[in-house]
This record gives sequence, C-alpha cells and structure tokens, in this order.
Amino acid sequence: MSEQWFERDPLWFKRAIFYEIHIRGFFDGNDDGAGDFRGLMEKLDFLQWLGVDCIWLLPMYASPLRDGGYDIADFFAIHPDYGTVDDFKEFVEQSHQRGIRVIADLVMNHTSSDHPWFQESRTDPAGPRGDWYVWSDTDELYRDARVIFVDSEPSNWTFDPVRGQYYWHRFFHHQPDLNYENPEVQEAMLNVLRFWLDLGIDGFRLDAVPYLYERDGTNCENLPETHEYLKRVRAEIDARYPDRVLLAEANQWPEDVVAYFGNSDGDECHMAFHFPVMPRMFMAVRREDATPMYEILERTPSIPHNAQWGLFLRNHDELTLEMVTDEERDYMYTEYAKDPRMKINLGIRRRLAPLLDNGRDEIELMHAILFSLPGSPVVYYGDEIGMGDNVYLGDRDGVRTPMQWTGDRNAGFSRADWAQLYLQPLMDPVYGYQAVNIEAQLRTPTSYLRWLHRFIALRKEHPVFGLGTYQPLRSDNSRIFAHIRRWEEDIVLCVHNVARSAQAVQLDLSEYVGLVPEEMFGRTSFPAIGDLPYLLTFAPRGFFWFQLRQPR
Amino acid sequence: MSFDERSLIEHVTQQRWYGAKSRAVAHSQVLDSVVLRTAEPQFALALVEMRYETGAHDIYQLLYALREGELELDGLADPALPRELVSAMRSGLTLQGAEGIAEFRPIEGFAGLGRELIEARSVGAEQSNTSIVFDEELILKVFRRLEPGINPELEMLRFLTEHGYPNIAALGGWYAYSGGPLGATLGILQEFVRGGLDGWELALDEIGRAPERFLARLGRLGEVTGRMHTALASDPNEPAFCSETPSVESLGLLTATVDEEIERVFLDLPDDDERLAPIVGRGEEVREHLRLLTHAGATGKIIRVHGDYHLGQTMWVDDDWVILDFEGEPARSLTERRRKRSALRDVAGMLRSFAYAASAASLQHETEAPEGWEEQARARFLDGYLETVDPALLPAGQPAIDRLLAVFELEKAVYELRYELDNRPEWVGIPVAGIQRLIEQTTATP
Repeated sequence: MSEQWFERDPLWFKRAIFYEIHIRGFFDGNDDGAGDFRGLMEKLDFLQWLGVDCIWLLPMYASPLRDGGYDIADFFAIHPDYGTVDDFKEFVEQSHQRGIRVIADLVMNHTSSDHPWFQESRTDPAGPRGDWYVWSDTDELYRDARVIFVDSEPSNWTFDPVRGQYYWHRFFHHQPDLNYENPEVQEAMLNVLRFWLDLGIDGFRLDAVPYLYERDGTNCENLPETHEYLKRVRAEIDARYPDRVLLAEANQWPEDVVAYFGNSDGDECHMAFHFPVMPRMFMAVRREDATPMYEILERTPSIPHNAQWGLFLRNHDELTLEMVTDEERDYMYTEYAKDPRMKINLGIRRRLAPLLDNGRDEIELMHAILFSLPGSPVVYYGDEIGMGDNVYLGDRDGVRTPMQWTGDRNAGFSRADWAQLYLQPLMDPVYGYQAVNIEAQLRTPTSYLRWLHRFIALRKEHPVFGLGTYQPLRSDNSRIFAHIRRWEEDIVLCVHNVARSAQAVQLDLSEYVGLVPEEMFGRTSFPAIGDLPYLLTFAPRGFFWFQLRQPR
Repeated sequence: MSFDERSLIEHVTQQRWYGAKSRAVAHSQVLDSVVLRTAEPQFALALVEMRYETGAHDIYQLLYALREGELELDGLADPALPRELVSAMRSGLTLQGAEGIAEFRPIEGFAGLGRELIEARSVGAEQSNTSIVFDEELILKVFRRLEPGINPELEMLRFLTEHGYPNIAALGGWYAYSGGPLGATLGILQEFVRGGLDGWELALDEIGRAPERFLARLGRLGEVTGRMHTALASDPNEPAFCSETPSVESLGLLTATVDEEIERVFLDLPDDDERLAPIVGRGEEVREHLRLLTHAGATGKIIRVHGDYHLGQTMWVDDDWVILDFEGEPARSLTERRRKRSALRDVAGMLRSFAYAASAASLQHETEAPEGWEEQARARFLDGYLETVDPALLPAGQPAIDRLLAVFELEKAVYELRYELDNRPEWVGIPVAGIQRLIEQTTATP
C-alpha cells in the first residue's frame, strides 16, 4: 500500500490555515548562520501543534539573491544555503507525515539575468534560446506599461551590450522577462511545475502572474493570453496532480483579481490574495470605524465555488498601499509610518505587532476579523508571538529577521557565531528575543501564542469560516463590524468592536428568532433571539463569535 | 446499490464503534463500495461518509449483505460472510470499486491461513472496531472509522514480527482500500491467542483474591514492556521507527497541549453531576500542578510506542504476557497515533490502568484491593521495566523520569475523564478519583 497522508479533498485549501516561512530566517540546522531545510524539519512539530495546514515557502531556488530569491537562476535546484533537492523532498514528506501541506513561491514571469537561459539568449541570438526572452532593437514598444519599481528602474527596457539589443523586464533590470509567445518557453515552465509536483509539493504561489505576456497598445497586465496560459497550467494540474493548488499573486482590485479564478467553474488559479482588504482592516481599527471593511467586502465579487481568497494581516513584503486611494494612503502613512524610514515603494515595511503599537487587544481583534472573513488566513512567521521589526535594515529585511525561538544565544535560531548570522535577531527591550520568544510564550498559558493556538483550533473546528456564505450585518453603530457566516447547519455570528471605547449595538437578527447564540470560546449560552433587536455590549476592541443553535 | 440516507444514519449512529455520539449528523452517503461476494447472499464493503452539522465529517467502513434483494447493513451478523474477507486475503485478491480498489494480502510464512474456516464468532464489547474469531485460531479485526494512511496496528505488528519481538500475536494478513476518497487500512488478520486470560479481567480477579501473585505478574509485565520499547527503537535504518531526539520545544508543546486539554475538559464539566463533585471548579489547581512538573526537565528520546497501553491490551497465556492492539488511541488522528513519543507515555497508561483496576475491582467484583496495592503494583512494574528498557530512551536520572511520567499520567487521566463523559458516564468516577488524587498529591508535596 502506498503512503497517502491525506483524504482526497480537492477543496482542502478552503479550510486551511497557511503559514508563510522565510527559510533563511526560520531555523539554522547546520550552524552556518542561516536557516535551511534541515532546520525547518526540526520545527515541524511546533507548526503542527500551532495548527498549520499548509506551509508557504518563499523562493528556495538557486539564485544570486539580488531580489530575495525572486530572481531565479536555476528552476531545478535548491539554493545551496537552504540544502539540496533531496532535503526538500524529505521536508515535504515529513510535513505530510504531520498532516501539513507545502506550497512554494514560483516566479514564472522572469528569471535572473544569471540564468543560463538568458546567458545563452544574449550570446547566441540565432541559437535555441535566442527567442526565449523579449528582445527589441529599440525601447519603443509597450510604452503604456507602467514601471513598477519606480524607485530604482527608469524603464522597462534595458540595453544589453552583449547582444546589442534591448530586453524587456517588468521588475528589476536583472530580471529579464521570459517570452511566453515562444511555445518552448511555455513548455519549459510546465516542466518546472511538473518537476516540483512530482517531488510531492502541494502547489505554488505564482508570483507576479499578471505580466506573462506583452501586447503593444495595452498596459501589458492581465492580458487574455496570460489567462489562456494559466488555463493550460490548470488543466495540466487537474489532469495529473489532484489536490494541488495554484495561488495567484495579483495585487489588483478584487473585481480584476477574480479573472484569475477563470470561468465560473474555476479553471485558472484555485486561490488569489485579497490585497485591498488588509489596509482597510488597519484603517478601520485606527479610525474606529468599520465602514471601510463593509465597503471593500461589498466591492468583492463572488468567486467560483471551488476557489478561495487568501487573507493576511502582514507578510514578507511591505504593507502594500497600491490598492487604496491617495487620500487613504496619506492617512495610512500618517497613522502607521510616522518615521519615513518605515515607508518603502507604495507601502509600509513593518510587522503586525509594531503596527498595532504592540496592543494585545488590537492584535487579537485583528486576528478575529481576519479569521472571520471568507477566505483562508495566512500567518506570517514570527507574528504568532508578536515579533517586532527593525526599520534600520535595508529593503524589507526589517521584517525578515531570525525567528525568536528562545531567550538563549542567537534567539535559539542558530548555533553559529553571532557575527555570522545572516541578520542579527532583534534585541530591543520590547520586541527583543529575551522578551518575545516561542519558548516563553509556550509556557505561559495566557500568552498571545497560546491564545492564537486555541483560536486556530476553534476556527478549524468550523468549516463554515472557509466554506460558508458571508452576509454583512450593518447596524446604526458604525464602530461595530458584524456579519453572519453560514454553511449547511452551522450558523455563526461574528461581531467586532473596532473602537477604543466600550460599545453597545442592536442587531437585527429577526431571521434567527428562537435560536440561541452560544459564545464559541467559552461555550456560554446567551439569551435566545427574540422579536426585539438583539442587544450586545462590548469591551474596547472586544469581539464575540457566536454559534446560533437550536435551543437544547 | 442505493442506500436510504435515513436508515444509513440510524444504523451507523447506533453502532458501538460509532465515535461521534455527541455530534449531530447532518448527512450520510456511501462514497464507494466493493463487492466481495457476488453469489447469494451478496456481500460487500462500503465507505460511508457521516457529515456533521459543523460540516466536519468521518468515513466509516461498513460491511453489508444483500439477501434476496433485502439490504442488511450489518453484514457481519451472519458468521458465514466474514470468511469471505479471510479467503480474499488468502488468495491475495485485488477487487475493483467505482472510485478505487480493495487489496487483500496474506503475510508470507503465516501458517494459519492454510485451512478452511468453519466457525466464526464476533467478539463483544469493543469500542472502535469489530473483531471476528474463526475457529479459535484466527482473529480478524475490521477497522471502522477510517483515516488516510497505514494503520499503526499493521505497521507495528509487521515491525515487531520482523525484529523478533516474541510477546505479540502473529500477523496473518491485511486488507486496504486505495482510491478517490482515501487510502486506508481496512482490517488485519492475526493469530488468535487461545486460552489466554485478559490482563484486565485477571487483575480484577486477583487483586482481592491473590494480590501477591498478580504483583509478580506485573513485574513480568514491566520486563516485557521494557523489551518492547527497546525493540521498537532497535532499527536506526527504519525512518518510521528509529529513535529520535525530540525538538527543543517538545516539553513546551506537550505542556501546552495538556494544559489546554485540562482547560477544555473542565470548561465542559456539567456542574450538576455529583460524581464530578470532587474536581469540579478545580481546573486551575490541576494546571498549576502541571506547571510545577514541567518547569524544567529532560525528555529522553522519542520512539514509536504502543500508544494505548493498559491492562486490557495484555493477555496472560502460557505463563507470559502477550501484548495486543497496537492501533493507538482510537480518538486521536492517525498521524497523531503514528507519531514518535516518549516511551514513558505507554508506562503512564499502564500505571493509570492499575488505578483503574483497583477502583473497578471494588465497583465490579466487590473485592477491595489491599491497602497500598496500587503503590506496590506501580513499584513492581517500574522495577521490571527499568531493568529491561534501553536507558538511553529515557530522561537521565530518576527524578526526571518521575516528573515526566507524572505529566503523562495527568494527560492520561484528563483524557479518560473526557472519554468516560462522552462514552461511559457511569465510569466517570474513576478518572475523577485519579485526578483528585493528583491534585491532593500537589498539596501534599511542595
């Protein structure tokens, strides 16, 4: 009998808790100062305990690391700092043994300029890879495509003195775009996918997916050809690799992102991130007004039954403010990035706890709102203990410091010399590893980690959060964010007070007269719902989740 | 074959092996079925999904018969039919369902399969499986609640057999399903231990009548247990079994898990049940006790363990013990049950079982265990155990062993409390007494 670790469940990702890992920063298994797969394997018990269903790995491929590994130099090799392909395979198996799936970042749009494909292409224009990148004699084409990295790149074209032509790149100039017009490139990328799927990986987060094709006279984003290719990828997965998942990174408005789920039966990506909801959660808490939350969810179209939103509070990138108005962006900068060092591109490079001034109530409230929404939540490593950031580090390194495992040397992250660490762990009195670490929070029953653990378990007990319908429940108190989730017999009422002050609200629950709200944490029954509006009172930043049950 | 959903729900929820008695079932359906016998009466196995109101679900194995067009949902009721399962193993059949296949396989060199089976009887009083004994020679265990992956019972018996551990009943064959819904072991065939005395019954019998003799047997049980752990950790080349050093967090994770389980169980305790009176409202004391025990400590190695070790899993036969039922705690998930753990977890299970036996002797057999019997039983068992177990598997030093053992005993007692509340409320007094004793120990020893 072959080993099978999971029930066949094509919709597993709809009920999953994702956990995002920066391998370099997680745990050092070979004492060289940087995290690796050996180290990651040692920490799987912790992730299993936490209730993680799926690990999302940042890029792990061979790379010169000029863009955090999103510049891949060999799609079939693991970066030597992290280990080998065999280590990766063992890691996937060990994860599966613990009931944890694994997805990894994959960049399809471009390669590193170090990639042998590019080197061949530039030196041998007539050769087999001559047409694998987007070359042009001029920099005139595709003028309507915006430059994304405005801080560092003057143009999407860069002149290559070796080949004597310009090449196209939507991101850094050392990341030439692959030419998807070439059928060989299409096939080569499918081979990359097959290679990792055959090793047992459970899916991919597809980085920068809107930019695969270029067409003059368009902004070169979300083109029909790009969708056609994604449909081809999906068909291949459906045919040969059941229960795997494609997660699209398309930082766009929800009405544009839904195109990446494909047609109404969902024939492109299984999941896509819901980017705009996140800044609005921060806005709601700061303004003490739930309106932005209601509005963005109203603006979110329905998605195919077999698709799911990915939701997150923070991740390895900046808190992106592309999907807000200018006015809203100014507000966010004023409130959350008081030091200009905290800004990067169009966003704020801070972790969750510092963004919320380390307020325990606020952190819990934000997780409650996140976990209550339709979608699958992603927890960013370190945020489960409220790690801080270091805004004095360059680029986004400030939110990628070593995981704080213990109060011991190097935060228990590595046994290498302090100076040898890829980055030094935080040492400040509030967020430093002696104050904030896994070991101490595990031991403290009232810690944030222990709270989150119980909260994750609660969410997982109720598939309604992943599968159910969402029905907003507006009231005349704009400081209250309330909604009903419903799936089969399970009806859940989630009510959150985004204000700093105590609040009362009267909710119209006339649809549920006779049912008894049972608070889900403590399983306390509240008075049955009657004909009058249902009155609830809240502590500052308080929230209640109720299951609406038949009276016993 | 079409099934009526209501009668399916009614049938499954009434079975002893149905594990979710406290949950409301919303739906039920057959995911796949595999026909084992086409002649009249037809006999087949089915994977039945039970969906609960919260949307969670379980998959159960059902064996049903079709007699003159009449559906009989309990196909094992007719003793002639389970024989089909054994003969399918003997022939090494692979049978096709709509969504997958059922494979039946014999274990090479197992002699017990050579002859025709005449008689079959089912074993009563089982919680999570159904077992059939054939001619007092073979026992077929049908797993009811299915989970993806190899069943630990099959895996463990195979390993122990291959590594020459004598105190088990030989494995004869197995059958499994793989396909759309899941891949899972469905059942195993083993040598039936004849003329054996169930360890639990023996305990109840001898505690009052011949306490000294039983204490001697427990010394032997300790030795057999120590050897079992040593054998389970004996193959460094077998990744599923080699001993490992637990992660740095392991004690913290264990403590957090037990602590939260205590919290949850105490939250659910009904306050109007007088059998619970000694512990109701004392959850915080129990948690405090746990914190004291785990404040610092070593964990030893982790290995594959029995997982559900108590007197009821042992049998006294031909002047020695046979260890049975390597399936692990049925209420835990299969990946959980296959995880490596401290060997002391098994030891704690057995020690709790002595406490159980002492209480049950007076409850059921109306005989009282002699004063101090439980302490002596523990000491005898532990002496035997520590003599034979590979010391490298345990934490260094007796105090560390004692502390870790106490943590596992607490975990066990809390687990028992929930189990009895859900399944056998009339037994709830036993874990209550156990937990009460643990709290009182706290107040006695600083």
